[in-house]
Amino acid sequence: MKRTLGWNLALAAGLGFFVALVGLPFWWVVSGSFKLPREIIARVPTMFPQSFTWQHYDKLLSSSDYGTYLVNSLFVSGLSAVLTLLLAIPAGYAFFRLEFRGRETWYRVILLAYAFPSIVVLIPLFTMFAKAGLVDTRLALIIVNVAFALPFAIWMLRSFFGSIPREIEEAARLDGGPPLTVLRRIMIPLTAPGIAAVAIFAFVTSWTEYVFASVMILSDAKRTIPVGFSGIIGQYQVDWGLLLAGASLAILPVVIVFALIGRWFVTGLTEGAVK
Amino acid sequence: MARNPILALAFVAPALLFLAAILAWPLVSAFLLSLQNVRGVGTSGTWVGFENYRFILTSGAFWDSAGLSLVWVLANAALQTLLALAAALILHQKFPGVRIARTWIILTWIVPTVVVVMIWRWLFSTSGGMINPLMMQAGITDRPVGFFATPESAFATLVFINSWRWFPFIALMMLAGLTRIPSELYEAARIDGAGPVRRFTRITWPLLAPTLTVLLIIGTLLSFNVFDIIWLMTQGGPAGGTRTLPVLIYETAFRSYRMSEAATIAVLSTLLLMTFAIVATRSLARSGDER
Repeated sequence: MKRTLGWNLALAAGLGFFVALVGLPFWWVVSGSFKLPREIIARVPTMFPQSFTWQHYDKLLSSSDYGTYLVNSLFVSGLSAVLTLLLAIPAGYAFFRLEFRGRETWYRVILLAYAFPSIVVLIPLFTMFAKAGLVDTRLALIIVNVAFALPFAIWMLRSFFGSIPREIEEAARLDGGPPLTVLRRIMIPLTAPGIAAVAIFAFVTSWTEYVFASVMILSDAKRTIPVGFSGIIGQYQVDWGLLLAGASLAILPVVIVFALIGRWFVTGLTEGAVK
Repeated sequence: MARNPILALAFVAPALLFLAAILAWPLVSAFLLSLQNVRGVGTSGTWVGFENYRFILTSGAFWDSAGLSLVWVLANAALQTLLALAAALILHQKFPGVRIARTWIILTWIVPTVVVVMIWRWLFSTSGGMINPLMMQAGITDRPVGFFATPESAFATLVFINSWRWFPFIALMMLAGLTRIPSELYEAARIDGAGPVRRFTRITWPLLAPTLTVLLIIGTLLSFNVFDIIWLMTQGGPAGGTRTLPVLIYETAFRSYRMSEAATIAVLSTLLLMTFAIVATRSLARSGDER
């Protein structure tokens, strides 16, 4: 595709704007976490660190249970993603392909799940979980996270299934495959990028969730990163170095995950199905 | 196509039952709670009919919050849609590193909100931070600006932070819509001598419009429900300037311990949102039929 010089400059300027908008805050946080305290609060901020220290990380790791929070977060988010897929794939397929009474109505009702403030269900849900003995368990968080990721997951999967050429599915069915086999052998492999995107969506939803985790979890050993980190913030109000180190460590795991599978998220969202 | 109700039931029922138990039933309980006069969590109350509704609907706090929520939704929709559209159009171009840009733009969305709040509280801080010293260096201001000092500036700053967190996700959804536009259309337009502006107004915009409408609806619902960023940053302050409906619900329930009143506000908010969602999806379906 040919573009004029002016067009290219405009593109570069736009790109530069977004790189700064997204990248600069993260650069400042990560680079700041290695600065000595006096450089962090200096009147003239430095773009590149003039000093280097591990002291904030040392203090953070010796005074908090960061490792425990990380394991809890990975456990909760990972299982939430798996459970979301287990429930959403059959449902998404049924809403797309199978005929049953009230299909469109039920489909719309599911999407209404986003039409109320999630804080509404916090109070009744807490009472329900208390009766079931689920308060202060990681299972409670998994249940809540799946419930909030599920409607969107079904919605995305239905459209991914819809982007598979009908002939492929017809051929599989004419070969005598029952719907379950067609789903497992044909539809799931063909929508693999989309399924990966949905899994990442569910993982991130759960990874970033704060409100329910802060109410449902009581003991320090079961806290996820958001809740554990907010405890650290409350404890060290203006110790910016320590907080920047904490923020960097909270960012690190998702950055690693995204470096490995991030492009699947984008490909999955934009393409959905293998063409 | 073969009708197979039992199979359909087996596929759909687990998800539906799960949602019914975890979302729908608590919603019903919230409604029942709004008809009683329960104060603390777990205490019992007596039935008072629609007394709470009468009280809430005549209270100024509710209408103040409803107004703030409306402005919040409109401001976020405008800012995040604008940023997302610009980003999506850029990411739709071909240039070296576009794959990297497409992957990493999402960084703001995959970071826990608690961390987002901490980052911006530091960056906007009047002691330490980066924004104030940079603005002073550039001569924009001669003393630190208190971004969270007045209700208006705190509100505007929160709109920026929330849109900053959400626009990349919406941009990628728009990009998905853009990639579905057949490239032959652009080729044909180019052969006919249409410039970039005409190609945008005649091809991109009309074909992207349905996607934009859906995203605008989803974005509206999502931003209405935003609670954690506001609560962690300002707790609804200063002077109630950022107390949107979700914040008011939380405050009423967990600060003032008036569960039934909180449930009443929650039910009213839900009615408001559901009406919007149903009307919006209806008109969407109708415009889809015309096409």
